[in-house]
Amino acid sequence: MELGFLPSLPPAFGQPALFGALLLAGLLGGEVVRRTLGLPRITGYVLAGVLLGPQVSGFLAPGALLEARVLIDLSLGLIVFELGHRLDFQWLRRNRWLFAAAIAESVLCFACVFAALLAFGFQPLLAATAAAIGTATSPAVVLLVAHELRAAGQVTERMLLFTAVNCVVAYLALTLLLPFLHLEHATSWRAAVLHPLYILAGSALLGFVASLTLLWLAGWVRKREDRQFILLVALVVLAVGAARSLNLSVVVTLITLGMLARNFDYEHVLLPLRFGYGGQLFFVILFVLTGASLEFGALPAVAGAVLAFIVARFVGKGLALVALGRLSGVRPASAGLLTLALMPMSGLAVVMVLDTAAMYPAFGGELAAVVLSAVALLEILGPVATQIALRRAGEADPAAGSA
Amino acid sequence: MAEMDFTPSPELTIGVELELQLVQSHDYDLARDAAELLARLEKVPLAGAVKPEITESMIELNTSVHRRHAALAAELEATRDAVVKEAGMLNLRVCGGGAHPFHSWSARRIFPTERFKHILERYGYLAKQFTVFGQHIHVGCPSGDDAVYLVHMMTRYVPHFIALSAASPFYQGEDTSFQSSRLTAVNAFPLAGHMPFVKDWAEFLEYYERMRAFGVVESMKDFYWDIRPKPEYGTIEIRVCDTPLTVGRAAALAAYAQALARWLLDERPQPAKRAVYLVNAFNRFEAARFGLRGQIIDPFAEKKRPLADDVLDAIAGVMPQAAALGGADALAALAADVRSAYSDADWLRERFAANKSLAHTVRESAARWAGDKPRASG
Repeated sequence: MELGFLPSLPPAFGQPALFGALLLAGLLGGEVVRRTLGLPRITGYVLAGVLLGPQVSGFLAPGALLEARVLIDLSLGLIVFELGHRLDFQWLRRNRWLFAAAIAESVLCFACVFAALLAFGFQPLLAATAAAIGTATSPAVVLLVAHELRAAGQVTERMLLFTAVNCVVAYLALTLLLPFLHLEHATSWRAAVLHPLYILAGSALLGFVASLTLLWLAGWVRKREDRQFILLVALVVLAVGAARSLNLSVVVTLITLGMLARNFDYEHVLLPLRFGYGGQLFFVILFVLTGASLEFGALPAVAGAVLAFIVARFVGKGLALVALGRLSGVRPASAGLLTLALMPMSGLAVVMVLDTAAMYPAFGGELAAVVLSAVALLEILGPVATQIALRRAGEADPAAGSA
Repeated sequence: MAEMDFTPSPELTIGVELELQLVQSHDYDLARDAAELLARLEKVPLAGAVKPEITESMIELNTSVHRRHAALAAELEATRDAVVKEAGMLNLRVCGGGAHPFHSWSARRIFPTERFKHILERYGYLAKQFTVFGQHIHVGCPSGDDAVYLVHMMTRYVPHFIALSAASPFYQGEDTSFQSSRLTAVNAFPLAGHMPFVKDWAEFLEYYERMRAFGVVESMKDFYWDIRPKPEYGTIEIRVCDTPLTVGRAAALAAYAQALARWLLDERPQPAKRAVYLVNAFNRFEAARFGLRGQIIDPFAEKKRPLADDVLDAIAGVMPQAAALGGADALAALAADVRSAYSDADWLRERFAANKSLAHTVRESAARWAGDKPRASG
């Protein structure tokens, strides 16, 4: 056949086309939502994902989402790395009440959500798992909103710090619950104990090794912004890949890498972190993909539990901040705003639900529906809440556009 | 016109105002948390005061009034420690220096008080470009006439204060080649410059009244002069200094001003001379551009000479007065720095050359401000 150079129809588009299409959809969604409704662009990225996803147009089949898991992991990896990099141990040492407040915020949030889900008759183990997932604030949303508003100030700094701490606590709690889930499924004691140990110690070790490598190489390439940028991206991507291959946690590995790179930089070799436009690409991809994996279908059936989940989360975070805020130097008015800013849930929670459900199908059913429905709501409303909080706190740059 | 009555202060007292930079700890760019920091500092008992300044990235330390250098230096150290500690609770760093090396002026926000809003409205972008950090030194005078004489005579030493304090070589991310780039930002204001050559306080009041009648100024605050009389405090205020990198140097500069004032008022070495103002712009430029390596014109001897030599001679000349006032050690330390050609501006350039990053230069500068062993005049 002399026209064999033509592709077979329909043509099969691979990952590059998917990557481009997601970016384009996100860009358009973000702009449309921003211009017509004045909402944060993130909300538009998510809505674009919803439209492309299996729930609406089906352009992204559920299978495509699994294939895109690499992209999600890379994006999340970069984001939690940046978040970890903002976690300053010196600050926590100097202001111990702040550390207490951050821990209390996580613990009370967990406790309130746990109690609420118990009240709805969920099994304690599964309720605890869902509460652990609910403890984490979306790192991607808070970082992106802060970036786009060019926000700077105490509420912004604390929002990022508390998010870093509650993500770590959420992961710790989730991993510590693993043995019980194992036992529930009648696996051996050995697997039950060793699995969480392997994940935590392994991820921390990987992050530690990566951070030493990063610092060593950064000292060697010296303080050149362009080279350090390449180095950072290279090590983050490597660490994400290694964590995946070793069945470790991408999030724990990368947040460790970020934290240690910041706090072990005794020689001061690293330049301040700026991912700039390159970093934005991954944010857009992450939000479009999480948008596509949101599920609204179950919402009506579990609306009561979802509402309880969201309210309990808010109350838990709020209680801690009101109780300990003053002592840690948050002004009373700022405690409320900070609580509001910490509302978003997104890709991280989806990933935690998917991972847990993959290992323990019992988690799949109704409870996953509750968490995912809550994520769906908070994915849309969360960025708006964070934006309002930072604006009200007077920390957004008035000249910066809506996030 | 009670506000223009000159309150006499007979003892040649000194006091210092320091404008300080607040920087973020993660990227060392200017922070915007002045209000939060000030709210915390309100609960800390301090001898002097800490106040807001025009943008949310700066605060101003005011000392109380002192007779001796040692007490001033001790108060400055105590206040610095309190400010650094409270800033640390907010994860902020504080540093000296006349300008932030790389901040973007358009990102600055004006501290929301009526006066500062008015300044922004009136001066537009100049107000934001005015995110520079200076030290003001007050020296008490017995009378308005003495103040007028002292302003004229001190003007001859303006280049000394510029060169000894210069600490703003970088501005907007560039090496300006100046030792003090801050001074250029001040020059842009329409009422910058110097006091007119009036012969006494009565003539000065006449001038002031005319300017008020024209509507050019509303109060003394509107004159951005290098040295201006401040009748309600009974002082003259020297305003040309960059905020140095250490409180030690800030206190030493005040001791130098005090000793000079003592000498000028006690000995009246010459009558005030109009020629001082003929060479002033030239001398001021030399000092800001080249620092201690500049050449200045001595308007009394009418010849050009290296600024460093001029400073060393002047310090030696007022040593007896400094000794009587308890400032001899501070002046000796200043002189030692001049001889070893040390300046804060050169230190900043040297740190930048070593670590190739302005952010890290700010980090080191903040560590130095916080009390790492000062190199000069501790």
